[in-house]
Amino acid sequence: MTSSGPSAASQKKRKLSDAESSDEDSDVQLDLNLQNKLYVPRHANLDPSSLNSTHHGIGIEGQKDFVSHIFGNEDYTWLPLKNDHKSRPLWISPENGHIILEGFSPIAEQAQDFLVAISEPVSRPAHIHEYKLTPYSLYAAVSVGLETEDIIEVLNRLSKVPVPESITKFIRQCTLSYGKVKLVLKHNRYYVESAHPETLQMLLKDSVIGAGRVYRDENDQITTEQNSALTVSSKPTGKDLTIPGIQKGKDTKPDGLNEKLTAEEQKKEDEKLFGAVVAIDKEDEDDDDEAEQVHAFEIQADHVENIKKRCNEIDYPMLEEYDFRNDTVNPNLEIDLKPITVIRPYQEKSLSKMFGNGRARSGIIVLPCGAGKTLVGITAACTIKKSCLVLCTSSVSVMQWKQQFLQWSNIKENQIAVFTSDQKERFSGDAGIVISTYSMVANKRKRSYDAQKMMDFLESREWGFLLLDEVHVVPANMFRTVVTTIAAHAKLGLTATLVREDEKIDDLNFLIGPKLYEANWMDLASKGHIANVQCAEVWCPMTPEFYAEYLLENTRKRTLLYVMNPRKFQACQYLIRYHEERGDKIIVFSDNVHALVEYAKKLQKPYIYGGTGQQERMRILQNFQYNPIVNTIFLSKVGDTSIDLPEATCLIQISSHYGSRRQEAQRLGRILRAKRRNDEGFNAFFYSLVSKDTQEMYYSTKRQQFLIDQGYAFKVITNLEGIDSDPTLVFKTKNEQLDLLKSVLLTNEADLKDEDLHEMDDVGRITDRKVAAKNRLPGLVRRTMTTSKSLAGGDNMAYMEYSRSSGGQFAKNPRGNPGASKEHHSLFKKHLKRK
Amino acid sequence: MSVINFKTNIYDYLETLPIFTFQRLFQKPATCLAIFRLLPAIGRQIVMSILYVENPISLKDIQSWVYKDGHKKLQEALHKLSKLHILEETPEKGLIVNSTFRLEFKNALSGGGEHQSFGLPCATVDKHKVDIAFLDHFASTQWEAILHYMVGTTMTKRPSRGVLNLLQKSDLMNSTASESGLHITNKGFQFLLQDVNTQVWAFLLQYLDMAEMLKMDLVEVLNFLFQLGSLELGQDYSVETLTETQQQMLEDLGDYGIVYRRKKGSRRFYPTRLATTLTSGTSALVTSLSKKETGTAASSAMIAAAEESHDEGGFLILETNYRVYAYTESPLQIAVLNLFIQLKSRFPNMVSGVITRESVRNAFLNGITADQIISYLQTHAHPQMRKRAPLLPLTVVDQIRLWEMERNRVEDKAAYLYKDFNVQADFDAAEKYAKDLDVLLWSNSKQRKMVIAQEAHETLRTYIKRRLAGNRDTG
Repeated sequence: MTSSGPSAASQKKRKLSDAESSDEDSDVQLDLNLQNKLYVPRHANLDPSSLNSTHHGIGIEGQKDFVSHIFGNEDYTWLPLKNDHKSRPLWISPENGHIILEGFSPIAEQAQDFLVAISEPVSRPAHIHEYKLTPYSLYAAVSVGLETEDIIEVLNRLSKVPVPESITKFIRQCTLSYGKVKLVLKHNRYYVESAHPETLQMLLKDSVIGAGRVYRDENDQITTEQNSALTVSSKPTGKDLTIPGIQKGKDTKPDGLNEKLTAEEQKKEDEKLFGAVVAIDKEDEDDDDEAEQVHAFEIQADHVENIKKRCNEIDYPMLEEYDFRNDTVNPNLEIDLKPITVIRPYQEKSLSKMFGNGRARSGIIVLPCGAGKTLVGITAACTIKKSCLVLCTSSVSVMQWKQQFLQWSNIKENQIAVFTSDQKERFSGDAGIVISTYSMVANKRKRSYDAQKMMDFLESREWGFLLLDEVHVVPANMFRTVVTTIAAHAKLGLTATLVREDEKIDDLNFLIGPKLYEANWMDLASKGHIANVQCAEVWCPMTPEFYAEYLLENTRKRTLLYVMNPRKFQACQYLIRYHEERGDKIIVFSDNVHALVEYAKKLQKPYIYGGTGQQERMRILQNFQYNPIVNTIFLSKVGDTSIDLPEATCLIQISSHYGSRRQEAQRLGRILRAKRRNDEGFNAFFYSLVSKDTQEMYYSTKRQQFLIDQGYAFKVITNLEGIDSDPTLVFKTKNEQLDLLKSVLLTNEADLKDEDLHEMDDVGRITDRKVAAKNRLPGLVRRTMTTSKSLAGGDNMAYMEYSRSSGGQFAKNPRGNPGASKEHHSLFKKHLKRK
Repeated sequence: MSVINFKTNIYDYLETLPIFTFQRLFQKPATCLAIFRLLPAIGRQIVMSILYVENPISLKDIQSWVYKDGHKKLQEALHKLSKLHILEETPEKGLIVNSTFRLEFKNALSGGGEHQSFGLPCATVDKHKVDIAFLDHFASTQWEAILHYMVGTTMTKRPSRGVLNLLQKSDLMNSTASESGLHITNKGFQFLLQDVNTQVWAFLLQYLDMAEMLKMDLVEVLNFLFQLGSLELGQDYSVETLTETQQQMLEDLGDYGIVYRRKKGSRRFYPTRLATTLTSGTSALVTSLSKKETGTAASSAMIAAAEESHDEGGFLILETNYRVYAYTESPLQIAVLNLFIQLKSRFPNMVSGVITRESVRNAFLNGITADQIISYLQTHAHPQMRKRAPLLPLTVVDQIRLWEMERNRVEDKAAYLYKDFNVQADFDAAEKYAKDLDVLLWSNSKQRKMVIAQEAHETLRTYIKRRLAGNRDTG
């Protein structure tokens, strides 16, 4: 990649992905001003294969045999095997940075620790794991203190084949400059800090950076005298920092400490055996003991933005660290964890990565849904003790965050403010917490007077801590807007899944910081922190009548047809009954609001969708939690994230968001925190109902991929035992089924309106005028401009199908296309005639 | 599993032979030994127990040798023995070992009697002596050349005409009218999924079939095959004791890599590992040798190592996320895996791939069944996989079966199409009649076409004929 500059590079990338998904439509358009403020380092999208020059040609000609063609350019037989390859656990692919690890190797555990630090886990099932080196993961690696040469060295020791040249190059390019420079706010002054003085000298020679430097004389007064000496201080340590909830546990449990010690001794033994990993682990651990020195120079506050940008341009992205204990300008917030709050080992681990050197590192923590991300966020806020802005995805989760803050910490209620479309509060006092949604903050339409005032307040302040919940759910540009408009010293992103269907994840990560910690799902499940889940995919055959219509209909209607398939209806009823009898609490998910309402009404269960009022929602959720009669609720997409229902033990999915792996994982998360998870032999259940022979099958396979890579297994159920013998089964007779079909075919406009209402609540709603104008069609209310599909690129599918059925006419909004309704109309007539 | 299937095929073949053929077969001690080795364990036990008993033994006595729950197995073994004419029933309801078999088998065991059925080692020293490593290399090259040819790879040399002939005759490959050359058949794909030993036997059985057609003496052919099984690897044998038919066979077997001769008409031959493991029951040659250099010590070490790993179970790891990792460097094995796995990347000693619906469906289109895929995965499962039960991830196995079931959902039934009704009224009447009989499968009033079930064809035809005739009468 040439030096085309960060924004150009990411734009180019976006263009590419546009062809695959129309996600952009649902997102905010960035204005020019904002784009200039986005800092993404040049190598953010570097691909190892582009560095693969030398060996490649030789390999192909050298040893090509007749099966080589199967592998394309992934035939790496030219890589020589080391003689003792049997005792080394991994292979590295030169083409794409994939690492394949033998999970059964005796040193696999050490190798895993190392790999998690330097690469992204791709799949972690029983025997063989796969990882992938990415610029971002390497960035994360160096930012926690690993050195370039050590990474290469250890990889080489673990690998069965010599580390390919392209990969060495890749690692060098990604790590040489990354993570070397830190921007530290300390005593209210900004410092550029580094352990490598030569790097700083190099930076100072840059005109932009040099211009921002502040010189001080012995009396700490600013002078104009230029001396090139750097301030030297000892490396910061986290020794005197207490993260609430952590130290306490250690003090009260000396036995635990002893155990830990012996464990460490054991580890030392292991280390002797496998010298490879040791070097690095130890270095990381012993960092604090050595009185290492760091060098720094001060810069002017108003140059910070420019310097940050410049550093990205010259590929020395600055890690942001916030020395919050030495910040006296921003007022402190009286907040602490309640004494009863206990945090779990992995939460502790993730927090210690964040506060490792006594300062707050910006970054992302990845924990499975239900593993207590909220508590991690709250603990972090309690550690920093400054004003805090929390952003989440929906107003429901705003309320839940507030409630959780009150539950776990001793913060006073008047210090937490909520900023949503309904409520616009402010906290009392100098410091406090504001909880809001991404869309409220990224909103660029004309706001109400109240909202504007609130926004001005948010933008004018300096925030000690910016907490970003579900970072990977947010549309890319909306996210950019938020990150650049809010001034915060430390940023923490929380998420369960580092996957996005639009693959726009890479550069986003650089906006927050490195991934600090990622938990292994199966590990947590086996230790009882999250529930064991039995996953199943239930295949429901389409009834002949529904299938006939399915084949004739356009895409949009097809969705409704396969969701409303009577056999699916019956399967849903059967499963609900079965699990209610077992004493399970059941959540049924449906993306399609029309189906949601139909199902819920038919089966006489309460339901929540976007249009349900706040009061009503709370009432239903509380009933579900405490009322023994209400054992099943139906939720639309609003329930996907952040709704915290530890009572739920069974989950049924009747309609879902195309091939969104993220949604699947997030929904699964709803039952991972099941209260009863530690009961003997307890299993939570996750059912996905799919109509056979429809598009749904394809999507379903795609959706499961993430969970399957985490080690979950989906069992296919083709036949539910005894389903037909149930006398109360719905839609048993053909006539009932035909009536249902008729009503499905009739619902058109009404059903769509519901869907739009529901989206008003979601992050996907459009906040930009340009997009609105582009999508507005005569005769439709403005709300129709987003579709729930767009988030996962579903519209793209629609377009494909659509252009075929309507003679190549490419409609921006299939729903509004007159050709579509006409076509449907005639079919519908035909259908009526037949009856 | 498959191995057993194919082995029993030798039985199946032997069982079809008439009794006098057996009498001639039993005259060779080597043959007796080979047949004995192919017997199930209980069968061998019984034979050894009563071999030296001159008098018939009653069935009851034999039954008293086993516990009650073993009776079924015993019965099966006895049945097999009598099918192979090793055990004969005397008029007094006693069992006795066939006398020829007894005599010659004793000879085989004790080395007595006058026979050279175990081959005649050459008395003179071979000037061009070859070692075991060379033989292994030769065998695997020859055998793999055949398999490669079947998979359709172009980089190996073309097998000889005799081999091609056999491939075609045995229906493992066939020629299509449109294209020149041979193409692999469904049967051929199934053949590829078997292990080498099974493949060799399957191949030889086809050879026997062909031998019959060529009017070769079956007994001599069989005797020679069984004799090969008891030869010693690395030893050179003289062709002197061989009959003309058997000498003729040498050429064919050389093509398959079962025996090695330096040149045609050479007075000595070497059996290869393919031959010596024919009846031994231990694993045959491992096919991952083609890339190794010839005649080095490393090569033979490789074989030993490979054999070891083969005994342990295999090289395939299948994960719950449908990924497959295969520890192999043999292009042939990779080509076979490619039949049902979408391969992704290849390292010197490992290939990785993933099982997808498409890849499995492709395999189905080639006539491979889900069972074969699963059993292949099972047979070759890596020792690590064997540490847990179930061996293969259930979800993947289920899914492969479901994918297969997907293809078998359409049933066909014979039916009759009625069309070209001249008058709408005729059609309507016929349609109504068929409806009343509940045999109408489909009808289109506009096009005046209908389809009725096969069994009602006669009735409806009579009805329509009558009606048409009636119309004509009145009209």
